[in-house]
Order: sequence, then C-alpha cells, then structure tokens
Amino acid sequence: MAAPSAAGLGRRLRAWLPRIMPVRWSRYNPSYLEPEAKKESYQKPLEELTEEEREHMELKAVRPIKAAPPSLSSSVFSDPMISKFTNMMMKSGNKVLARSLMSQTLEAIKRKQLEKYHKAPENEKETIECNPYVIFHQALKNCQPIIGLSNITKGGKTYQVPIPLTDNRKRFLAMKWLIAECRENKHRRTLMPEKLSQELLLAFNNEGPVIKKKHVLHKMAEANRAYAHFRWW
Amino acid sequence: QLDRGCALHTAARGGLSSVSSQDVPAQRPRAIFHTSENDPAKHTEQHEGRLYNIPLEEVKAVFPHGLPHRFQQQIQTFNEARVMVRKPALEILAYLKGSNFAHPAVRYVIYGERGTGKTMTLCHVVHYCSRQGWLVLHVPDAHLWVKNCKELFQSSYNKDRLDQPLQASVWLKNFKTSNERFLQEIKTQKKYMWGKREITEEGRPLREVVEQGLARVRSATDAVGVVLREIKQQSHRGSFRLLVAVDGVNALWGRTTLSKEDKSPVSPEELTLVHNLRKMVTNDWSGGAIVTTLSQTGSLFKPSSAYTPQELLGKEGFDALDPFVPIPVPNYSPREFESCYGYYLERKWLQHEKAHTEDGKAELQFLSGSNPRQLDRLAGPL
Repeated sequence: MAAPSAAGLGRRLRAWLPRIMPVRWSRYNPSYLEPEAKKESYQKPLEELTEEEREHMELKAVRPIKAAPPSLSSSVFSDPMISKFTNMMMKSGNKVLARSLMSQTLEAIKRKQLEKYHKAPENEKETIECNPYVIFHQALKNCQPIIGLSNITKGGKTYQVPIPLTDNRKRFLAMKWLIAECRENKHRRTLMPEKLSQELLLAFNNEGPVIKKKHVLHKMAEANRAYAHFRWW
Repeated sequence: QLDRGCALHTAARGGLSSVSSQDVPAQRPRAIFHTSENDPAKHTEQHEGRLYNIPLEEVKAVFPHGLPHRFQQQIQTFNEARVMVRKPALEILAYLKGSNFAHPAVRYVIYGERGTGKTMTLCHVVHYCSRQGWLVLHVPDAHLWVKNCKELFQSSYNKDRLDQPLQASVWLKNFKTSNERFLQEIKTQKKYMWGKREITEEGRPLREVVEQGLARVRSATDAVGVVLREIKQQSHRGSFRLLVAVDGVNALWGRTTLSKEDKSPVSPEELTLVHNLRKMVTNDWSGGAIVTTLSQTGSLFKPSSAYTPQELLGKEGFDALDPFVPIPVPNYSPREFESCYGYYLERKWLQHEKAHTEDGKAELQFLSGSNPRQLDRLAGPL
C-alpha cells in the first residue's frame, strides 16, 4: 500500500462530509487515525515489531491523528468498565462528583472487606476477596442477564418476545439496574457510596435486589417461550 | 511482630539507617519500615521515616480528640495505630528535651502546605509528652470554636463576652479522659461561685471544677476558664510540666462567622473560650512549652494558597505569638514515601494488581507529588 501524497490529503481534508449521514457519526475525515495512549507500545524496540505494526508506525508518520478524548488515560490504574459506570452515574455533566463517588465506593468496599479479613480466623482468610475491582467486575458479571425481552407487535397485539442480547446491552442493563436500585431504594440519609458498596457486595455473593430483578427477567423470558418464533432476526 | 524486631536489630547494628536499607536482604524489604521502638522519647534520626506503633488502649487514653478523621478510619481498618517518625517532630522533641523549664515557655509554630502532616506531628509531640507524664492541654481544632456555633449565651462573668456551652463541655469531657490523675492532684487556689448557689471552695481538686462544668452546661465555659487559669498559675512550681497543644492557632486571631442576636459580627476577643486560650498561648508563664499548628483547611476568610505564619496569623496574631520557633513540615522525602508505600502494601491497603508494580509506584509518586494527604486519597480506591 503506497502512502498517499501529502498534497492530495491537504486538498481533501477541508470540509469533508459523507454522502449518507448516519445517526451516530463523527466529523473526522476517514484518514484520521486513533491516538495511542498505552506506554508499552512506544517502549518496544524496533526489532520486536511485527510487519503490520511496522506499517502502522509508518502510516502514523504521514496521517493526521484525531484529538484525544478527555476520558482517554495512560494511567496504569484506568479501567474502561469503571469509566463507563462513572459516566452512567454522572448527572448534568458533573464528572468530578461522579468520579469522587466512585472512588469513595471502592474505598468503602475495601474497608468493609479488610475489616472482615482481619477479624476472620486463619483458614477463612483466603476465601475473603479484598480487591474492590475484582468484586466490582464479578458483581457486574453476576448481574448481567442472559436473555432479554423485546416488544413485537403482530396482528394488533404487542407480545413480549425473548431475544438474545449483545454483550454491550448486557453490560448496560447490569449497570443501569445497579444505579437505579441505589438511587431509588435507599433511605434519605444514606449516601450513594455507602448504598452502592452494599449492593455491589450483595451482587458479588449472588444475593440482593438486582440479582432478583435479573431472575425475574429470566423467568418472564422462560414463560414467553412460545412467542420466540415471532423474532425474525 | 518478631520478624520486624529482628530486622530492626540487624539494622541497628549496621549503624546508619541509610546503610541498613541496603544491608537488609530483599526477602524482608517491608519490615524495615517499621520500628519496634514505641517510646517517642527514644526516637532518633535513625528512626526517621519509620513507623512506630501506639497500642490501642493508649490511643484511647491519650487521644480522645485530636487525631485527624482519616487517620482514625485507618486505625479502625488496620486495627493498629502506626505513626511515622519525621524530621520536624524529632526537631521539636530535641528542643523539648533540652529546654530549661525555669525560663518562660517557648512557643513552637508548625506550619506547612496543605496535607503535609502538621497535625500528625503535633500528635507525635503530644504522645511524647503524655508518656513523659506532662499535663497535656490539647485543643484539637481552634477553628471549631469560631464557627458553626448553635448556642451563644452572654457570659455571666463579663457582660461583653459570649459563652459557648456545647464546645466547652465537649472539650472538658475529652480533657477529663486524657488527664485523669492531674485533676486529682491539682488544687484550686481561690473560691469560685457558679451562679448564685454552687460554690467550689479553695483547696478542692480540679476534678470538681470539671464535674461542675459538665453537670451545669451553662457554666462549662467558665469552668474551662477556671481550669486554664489554675493550671497556668501552678505550672511554675514544678510539680508538673504543662504542654499547651493547639491545632489551628490562626483561628484565635482572625474573624469568626458567628453573629450576635442583632446580626452584628462577633470578633474572636468577644468569645470567652478564645480569650482564655489567648492568655494560655502567651509566654508569661514557665514550666512547660506551647506547641501550635497553623491550619488553612478550617480557616475562615483566608485564601487557599496561604500557608506561611505571616499570611495565616495576620498582623495581630503574628505580634501576639512573636517570638516563636517556626517548624516547617515538608512533603514526604523519597525515603518516607517508600516507607508509606511499603506500609500500605504490607497492610493490603493497595489492592490493585498494578499498584504492586514499579510503574504503579512511580505513578502514585507523581500524582500525589509526595504529599501525604494526596497519597492517602489516591491509595484509597486502589
């Protein structure tokens, strides 16, 4: 693949609009490349790179790079799931508050588990999980439904039809249920980190209202098995 | 526990602590951050950067108030109280050990940027003094006396001044917990009338004054004033040493957010508690020392970048405290940072897998700027 000429790029970069306008689209010319934030990719010496990586590096020398979004981080502690969850907790763009709530939640989980750990007898100490990130990921995985329901109208009547869910949809539903549960069903005086840490620990042990909601959804899907053939995709 | 002691003995035989950190083999890299020397009187430069343990019963007896909130949470989570020995505290301890108590009390002002460990330095000094058997007058945060006060009464002793019964009774309760035996030994030197009926005779132990203040909350402020005055008058005799430890001393000479019933602002002189505390902090008495801390965090009407004594105390406060010995408290040195990081790792506070790596450690050091408070805040969710 010969690298395109710089002059041609300069002419075509200005005022580019696609022929069809999709719903979620970006204004960038397709020749723009994504920014690379991971330190490890820049620390590899030249010999270790494979062919495609070498080509990619040469391409980056001529092509323009998109601007880095504010959520892109080169920190070793950044986690995409935690960022997604923080964004979903955010209200009216107050990311500072959402992030501080998230860090207070993780700290609360860690404190509770560590207290339990230090009071437990020796043989039980290995069973207690103290890492808040492991608990968070496992709790989310436990809350994800396997099968979902969708409204399909046929012959004037709307039926709840069981449909398979994509991974993204499962993750979204799990996070949404957790946040909704913590916002609605808590005492006026309890703070969000306290309630969220409680719910995450319950979900980690496969208990709690969110897991119950998931089971209710599964039962409804099982009950509506007869309509599964209404799905055409 | 034994492992830590052994590691320290080999280190102690090595001599200099910098040499010992290379001598001790890599199998126990974390144990050298602790020291088994629990008596602050024996802390020297060799223990710098290391953490010493305070038994939990002693914590409850010596610090009923005064420890920062996050440190109290840490004590509860880790089930132990470990304080780092740092240079500013060692400096003050050296001065206290060498001071002549026949001379007027020397004033020490601990200052530094936000979150560098001023309150913990003060607590270290308070622990040393209580171990040595001094009478410790610890005011945990003077800013609490000049803001957010729900009840302000006109003082019965002096018509111009205002009483704060709630704050005074809380302080009296904690003072009683920390200095039980002194309250029995020190006797009043004057007769005091509380209102129209209650009287405390001359020669009664101070404990009765404190009980009176706790029982009748209205006279708690006057009880505090009496206690301070009696202690100050009797300190020069030499039967006990007095340490006046005030955290946030810049509150005594600033403005308050309180207002009287006619909405006019209250200045600090008009508060009885502040007035009496100012008298304690002057150097016209002997037989002890005054160790104070400046604090911007709870201060009123001061910019957040102010940390030097001149900025925080203002002209009035600086003139009142002058001459004093300034003790700056810097951020963690590289060795102290290693020590704190090693402690968090050992207590399983840093749970993230990447936090154990060199990259994670470098990132923590960069993000916190070696500031103790920032490091604590960052290490919380990790």
